[in-house]
Amino acid sequence: MKSAASLFAASILASSAADYLREEIPLPPGEVMEIGSIALMPEDRVAVATRRGDIWIVEGAHGQDLNQVRWKKFARNLHEPLGMFWQEGSLWVTQRPEVTRITDTDADGLADRFETICAEWQIKGDYHEYAFGSTPDKEGNIWVVLCLTGSFTSECPWRGWCVRVTPKGEMIPTCPGIRSPGGIGFNPQGDCFYTDNQGVWNGSSSLKWLKPGSFQGNPTGNRWHELAKLPKPPEPADKSRMVTERERFPDLMPPAVIFPHGKVGQSPTAVIADESDGRFGPFTGQMLVGEQTHSQVQRVCLEKVNGLYQGAVFHFLDGFQAGIVPMRLAADGTLFIGGTNRGWASRGSKPFTFERVRWNGTTPFEIHTMSATKAGFDLTFTAPVDPASAANPASYSMDAWTYIYQSEYGSPEVDQAKPVIRKATVSGDGRRVSLEIDGRVRGHVHHLAAPGIKSTTGTALVHAEAWYTLNEIPR
Amino acid sequence: MRVPLLWAFLLCPPLTAQDGAQLYGLYCGACHGADGNGATGGQFPPLAGSPWVAGDEERAIRIVLHGLHGPVNVKGRTYNLEMPPQGAMLPDDQIAAILTHVRSSWGNASPAVAPAKVATIRAAQQQRKTPWTAEELLRDFPLPLEKSALSQLISRSYEWSKPEMPDFSTLQALNTEEEHDGLLDAADAPRKEHFAMTWEGTFTAPQEGSYEFLLDADDGAALHLDGKKLVEITGIGPANGGRSKIGKIDLKAGSIPFRAEYYEFTGQEAVSAAWRLKGQKGWNWLSREHMGARPDLEPIPIEPENGRAVIYRNFITGTTPRAIGVGFPSGINLAYSADHLAPEILWTGPFLDGTGKWLERGTNPSPPAGDRVVKCSSSPALPAGTRFRGYELDPAGNPTFISTLGQQIIRDHFEASGGTLTRRISLNSGAPVRVVISDAFAWELTNDQTGKLGPLELHIEGAGTLSQGKPFTLDLTPGTVTLTYRWK
Repeated sequence: MKSAASLFAASILASSAADYLREEIPLPPGEVMEIGSIALMPEDRVAVATRRGDIWIVEGAHGQDLNQVRWKKFARNLHEPLGMFWQEGSLWVTQRPEVTRITDTDADGLADRFETICAEWQIKGDYHEYAFGSTPDKEGNIWVVLCLTGSFTSECPWRGWCVRVTPKGEMIPTCPGIRSPGGIGFNPQGDCFYTDNQGVWNGSSSLKWLKPGSFQGNPTGNRWHELAKLPKPPEPADKSRMVTERERFPDLMPPAVIFPHGKVGQSPTAVIADESDGRFGPFTGQMLVGEQTHSQVQRVCLEKVNGLYQGAVFHFLDGFQAGIVPMRLAADGTLFIGGTNRGWASRGSKPFTFERVRWNGTTPFEIHTMSATKAGFDLTFTAPVDPASAANPASYSMDAWTYIYQSEYGSPEVDQAKPVIRKATVSGDGRRVSLEIDGRVRGHVHHLAAPGIKSTTGTALVHAEAWYTLNEIPR
Repeated sequence: MRVPLLWAFLLCPPLTAQDGAQLYGLYCGACHGADGNGATGGQFPPLAGSPWVAGDEERAIRIVLHGLHGPVNVKGRTYNLEMPPQGAMLPDDQIAAILTHVRSSWGNASPAVAPAKVATIRAAQQQRKTPWTAEELLRDFPLPLEKSALSQLISRSYEWSKPEMPDFSTLQALNTEEEHDGLLDAADAPRKEHFAMTWEGTFTAPQEGSYEFLLDADDGAALHLDGKKLVEITGIGPANGGRSKIGKIDLKAGSIPFRAEYYEFTGQEAVSAAWRLKGQKGWNWLSREHMGARPDLEPIPIEPENGRAVIYRNFITGTTPRAIGVGFPSGINLAYSADHLAPEILWTGPFLDGTGKWLERGTNPSPPAGDRVVKCSSSPALPAGTRFRGYELDPAGNPTFISTLGQQIIRDHFEASGGTLTRRISLNSGAPVRVVISDAFAWELTNDQTGKLGPLELHIEGAGTLSQGKPFTLDLTPGTVTLTYRWK
């Protein structure tokens, strides 16, 4: 069907200067397209699944003229799919009760075979029993994070766990400690990450590393370990700190990157890696994280220090039309995002949206990476910095805090600290600044502001802030 | 450019009391709207003009501290979302700043909230661990009253001990009162149970048009306008919206005689009435209690398309959570349980209504939308160890559900035409497999291969052994058995 919509919005994303173009992709008229899943398909087709459970396939979403897009409905009324990919002629869908392989066996454009691959986790009928599924890992396993019942309790098996589903349909319980996920994906090294939302045992939302066997911090679903004869997960003390409980429980995995509530969104969602080889700008290898409430995309650089992932989150893209849930970045550098704000409101005020973002080839002036060093933090930039501003410690400021690790809902920022930037050393090529800092605190979020930094051409940073979660200080 | 504004304050020192508007934008505005009217065209509760944030500040402070769970009526519209608790995150001065902003913006004009007041309520409610419900809050902090459209209202109370409306002309009033607030209230009676009441007065219609009157009661009630009974609730039961009714009448502008009748048998007592012009969202209350309003939801019929059966996966009231609804173009429907591997509910007429699961957070029930609902079974229908493997659709969209037991494959196909549902269940090989056809009914054979299965007629052909009595089972041998269900 050719879309009747002839007008669509295209706009330059305000927060990324003129370098990223956001465009709304016309949707089939009259349909409720609350997008919860996106899958990239061969021949530049894209499949989306809606929260009402319809799967649509669109042609032309990569094209120059979005008025040419053609939509076709592939399947109807699945059970709230939240994770979908294309593999060997089928769409693999994580829907609320199961992982399903969906195939059009007679090539008439309509799905006709719905194979239940794995339905080993339980549901009881609660509205909040979300199941977010990943793309396949290197072994072909799909990782599924199972939200708590109503986001507070675990009333049937494997609520509050991450499980892996093998290609044969076996379920491997992988990590306890989940609260309320918003998305799941892999970094370029193949390690799996998910986002978990502020709430009980989550002082603030964060990006977390699903290291198999690790405990993700929320003990509500712990008891299901007995079903699989797994070791008993930790029972952390209430009103403690993550760094304190980590001393007691080596399996307790601290969030890799905390997104301070309100300042960096309120509901993180999709997790994807930029593996577009520079087709989406200068951030290849970094992670992009969707944000439902604030209708944004955040950017994350990760590093491994003393065996744990940690890193910084930066604001990146802004101004989407609804609350972002799924994202996919195609090899040609087209970022697809789907949005919905039913039940959970968003700054973007449309009830649903399908948008794409493409890079125009001009490099924005941004902090490229922030990494921990023995003495402080190193910053790299996407363009050479003006040495006069960048070498002046007064161009930077830093504050730090952590959260109460508690069974109550969220946490204030506590244990505030004021690290002092002693010295800023600019590298010969102007791409790196090494900060020497007194007073960093292990386990704290370190908020860097660098509004005074200019590029050699006098440009200010598009985003002059970063929030680095310092789980470990390099030895 | 919205961004510089955001950055300007994020770079500032921590936010303090005077930054109520900024804090509101940061933490509240996404849902309640920058303009206080509720995000996405009022899909979320408005704060502008909301009586919930007016008057006694403790009502709003409690909501911010501990959250709000379940349905809440705001300006006549019922919302069923979740307000997450903010008390563990926001300090007293920030909550005070936000509420001061809310109570003095968008036309709201209630006094400022002091941080000390937040601290006092936080301390007093230290034991509170769960979000509030609207009912709990209204018990402690009733909403400020709106002006009633009733005037010259007189209530009379009577002793009455039957669960039905009395003939008031035969009763002697115990008590007569003038109700200057123009509001019905069951608490105006001198008794708590076994009583009846009437209210008589004048209803003033602001303009000519089609009017709707909402009535809810614990236990029974009726509204009369201009001497005619418009709407009535009979029997006994709670006032929670489940028994509420709406009456419709065309009125000219001006005053007309109004009469309400009410009786209370035992237990809780409440009467609730409201009116609106057709098309208006929300209700104008004529009672102190505000009950009975249901969400203004247009039905979302889920229907077969292009002559093909419709398959619907979601929670369906009456079967297990792994439910798969099937609606055939001929108006026959079933809900297959992928937990119990059986068609547990059969019905005719409309298939399902999407409003239960497809609006807001999907917390409303989703029962069969049609009639002649038959619950055939509610326990596992195939032997332990049988696994659900999914389903296939034939070119007409008819499903075959597939399960495996070791190497054995059980295929369960459904199609419908006219008033008949045809089920073909087959086994590929191996030992007989016992299939529960119904645990609710025995099969009462009436003539050759046809019998009664509860309210259904069931005809069975094929290779297998049938049981007598309940549960009604089929020992399926390799081959196919055809079951034909017909509504009598």
